[in-house]
Amino acid sequence: YSFSVEGDTIKVYVRVRPPSEGTVLTDGDQGLCLSVLSSNTIRLHSKPEPKIFTFDYVANMETTQESVFSSVAKNIVESCMNGYNGTIFAYGQTGSGKTFTMMGPSDSDKFTHSLRGVIPRSFEYLFFLIEREKEKAGSGKSFLCKCSFIEIYNEQIFDLLDTASSGLFLREHIKKGVFVDGAVEQVLSSAAEAYQVLTMGWRNRRVASTSMNRESSRSHAVFTITVESMEKNNEVVNIRSSLLNLVDLAGSERQKDTHAEGLRLKEAGNINRSLSCLGLVITALVDVSNGKQRHICYRDSKLTFLLRDSLGGNAKTCIIANVHPGSRCFGETLSTLNFAQRAKLIKNKAVVNEDTQGNVS
Amino acid sequence: VGTGGGGGADWAAVCDKFRAARTLSSVESRKDPETEPYRSKYSARALLQEVKQLLSAAEEGGEARLLAVRRAVLEYELGVNHTDTEELSAGEEHLQRCTQLLEPHRLSPDCVSLYIQAQNNLGILWSERDEIKTAQTYLESAEALYNQYMKEDGNPPLDPSEHFMAEEEKLTDQERSKRFEKAYTHTLYYLAQVYQHLEMIEKAAQYCHTTLKRQLEYCGYYPVEWALNAATLSQYYLSKQCFMEARHCLAAASVIFSQAGQAPSTEDSEAEQDQQDLRQRKAEIARCWIKYCLNLLQSARKLLEDNVGELDPDRQLELKAQRKKEEDEKENGRKKAVLFGTSDIYDSVLAMEEKVSSVYPLDFQEAREIFLVGQNYVQEAKEFFQVDGYVTDHIEIVQDHSALFKVLAFFEEDYERRCKMHKRRIDMLEPLYADLNPQYYLLISRQLQFELADTYYEMMDLKVAIGNRLEELDSHTIKKINSLAQLAIKYYELFLDSLRNPDKVFPEKLEEDVLRPAMVAKFHIARLYGKLITSDSKKQLENMQTSLEYYTFLVDYCEKYPDAVHAVETELELSKEMVGLLPTRMERLRAKLCPFI
Repeated sequence: YSFSVEGDTIKVYVRVRPPSEGTVLTDGDQGLCLSVLSSNTIRLHSKPEPKIFTFDYVANMETTQESVFSSVAKNIVESCMNGYNGTIFAYGQTGSGKTFTMMGPSDSDKFTHSLRGVIPRSFEYLFFLIEREKEKAGSGKSFLCKCSFIEIYNEQIFDLLDTASSGLFLREHIKKGVFVDGAVEQVLSSAAEAYQVLTMGWRNRRVASTSMNRESSRSHAVFTITVESMEKNNEVVNIRSSLLNLVDLAGSERQKDTHAEGLRLKEAGNINRSLSCLGLVITALVDVSNGKQRHICYRDSKLTFLLRDSLGGNAKTCIIANVHPGSRCFGETLSTLNFAQRAKLIKNKAVVNEDTQGNVS
Repeated sequence: VGTGGGGGADWAAVCDKFRAARTLSSVESRKDPETEPYRSKYSARALLQEVKQLLSAAEEGGEARLLAVRRAVLEYELGVNHTDTEELSAGEEHLQRCTQLLEPHRLSPDCVSLYIQAQNNLGILWSERDEIKTAQTYLESAEALYNQYMKEDGNPPLDPSEHFMAEEEKLTDQERSKRFEKAYTHTLYYLAQVYQHLEMIEKAAQYCHTTLKRQLEYCGYYPVEWALNAATLSQYYLSKQCFMEARHCLAAASVIFSQAGQAPSTEDSEAEQDQQDLRQRKAEIARCWIKYCLNLLQSARKLLEDNVGELDPDRQLELKAQRKKEEDEKENGRKKAVLFGTSDIYDSVLAMEEKVSSVYPLDFQEAREIFLVGQNYVQEAKEFFQVDGYVTDHIEIVQDHSALFKVLAFFEEDYERRCKMHKRRIDMLEPLYADLNPQYYLLISRQLQFELADTYYEMMDLKVAIGNRLEELDSHTIKKINSLAQLAIKYYELFLDSLRNPDKVFPEKLEEDVLRPAMVAKFHIARLYGKLITSDSKKQLENMQTSLEYYTFLVDYCEKYPDAVHAVETELELSKEMVGLLPTRMERLRAKLCPFI
């Protein structure tokens, strides 16, 4: 027999985008730095030896949006209905197809578009499941969906649903966990509405990125849907609540020289030139000694703090690593694949979020 | 040093170009658009090439050494420019040419600083190629050159930028010295990183320490940042049980931090945010102090405990005799190497240090003094990290507080008073646990369950020990023992329940990280059922049956998964023994219960 550990580790998916239009590939693999060997292996044409990477799923250039959604997100949305928290990350350098994978073609806000991405499809599926549940359970079960949409830029948090607000703060509540203090929460009643809120916020993001121009790809966007269900069984009320986080990470490029990596996964590490990063070196010294009582003064980044549950916590999490196959992107592609490889090592513990109130006595 | 062979106007133009290149590279480049991240760097490069051309043209009439040095400056700038723009090979070539040109003059005051900086950059370059060993050789040779120069000459050397400055712009000795020392501080900081990558942790720590020390000496620091670094470094020393060094870092951190607090504040929201940040930093440093007190007490406990975890009086006497000697001999030698600060800061640091000992406490009185210092810092840290808003931090601090009480209890001889200390722990942990939502705080929730269980378990043991001194167990004590045991069982069971999957099934195979706690929980529950006191023989039989089941779990589990044995060797051995003994005892009890069957 085998004991199932499904859902315990972070699932990692890699998607290879086609080279941009106008790039003519002359002979065969020339100009490409990788090839997809099977639905879970990829070969990077590194020198002197090519490198083989294995992931939970590899989508090649021909893979459709529909099939990416089915293999990546469907399961997470279902778990969310069953009371688990779920998180989907998109990772990769700018231009590797993150937005296309998550949102769909950039020129269209229509969420009916045939090339729409993981996010609109997740919405559709979520509300489809909710409707189905409601029909099954009749009046005994009700649902409440809310969403928030925030952006993390330069270690500051902005509300994309309320552009008038200035920096927000992360706080913790003993019952509610980590939350963004003061973030607008919008009630959702349909997939179309969710998509509308998302695109509105997304546009705000673009505004933010023009005013701060060159740093645009360094911001992370986190769209969170809270699904609350209430079920009455005689005198017992079962409340389940779960979160679905959809995260568009900042471009992975050029982060090596800022040390502002979104996810705290150790890099092999080059010399850091800035004396003001001395603390990072010292922290690393303290990290080495485990088992001893110690306190490290440097907080996790905002993103890791907000998504602490999703990284080695209490949630079902997957990462979609997007890569560009062009040989000019070799360095970035390698680092993305290495990152994805490391992410597989993070273990998650998923626990159903159930709270029983009003016991029969 | 003369201005060289340049005709005035020409030379001024050269200097202007050079200066423009430097401005482009360090100031303008920060504003480059994302699509052209190196635009300014490339423009700077073009200017530097022009300067190089002009210089070659002037070569004929010029003085050879002077020209060589100026060319070295350009090679250096070009080297840095290329490495900045990710063209490592070209960068390396330029930097190598720079050091070659300077080689014969590297110990002279107009070259030494440039040579050191070129080597620093070669170190960075090789580390970017992941050839840390090569980086190390460059940086160590830069370090050696600094030391040799300071020994043989020691006068403030020329800054590399001065080679392209008009005479009247040249720097003061003070400024020269400042820049030279800064370049060397960078050498040491890079070496700290190199040693860290090579896993020469002790050396890395030493270089971090020296970097901090030099930042303080040459005033190149932000007080808050410096204080946090020093406080964090103290945590490294704690892990090495170097309490004197740890305390020194913490005392210095507190002193330097207090400088930052005195900054004038204005009344806008930004200033309020700054104040908030300051309060948080202060609380962070307090938390480092808490760990200091805790580690010192816990290490002392380790030294003093006998094989059943009680204070060993012989060992206590022995250590007290030893202490005086050690204090005088060892510490004085070590002390010189690590002291921070110039004289005015130094006195404040000393005064701060005097508030808490850095030697192992050997009796209750000494332990209590350290405990009280720790407890004060707990209050200070809690002022900022309140449960509403900072759940994780707050609970971690309370857990430390509980740990302080736990270790203090070790030094307490009176069992009743010791029991009260554990009760204090319960009182601080139980309400937090009751409120905590395990959906978001699963790990902490488990930690609290386990700690509460252990504390009740310990209190029960103490009550049993107190009871054993009495002639006869009174009903009050029996009630107390039973209720403590039941509470311990309750929390162990809660912990074990948290391991169940959504369908409430206990895992077939335990994950490595919960293996030991889960097994210990099972083992303790087995023991607790054995300790429950009842006059009802039937009930007693039931308890023995339950106890047997839990012991059996351990034995069966380890048989099925032999990997688990290493985690619970002692517990397993005792469990096997009990699994052998209990059935016979139960048989005897049954016989007494129904003598006619």
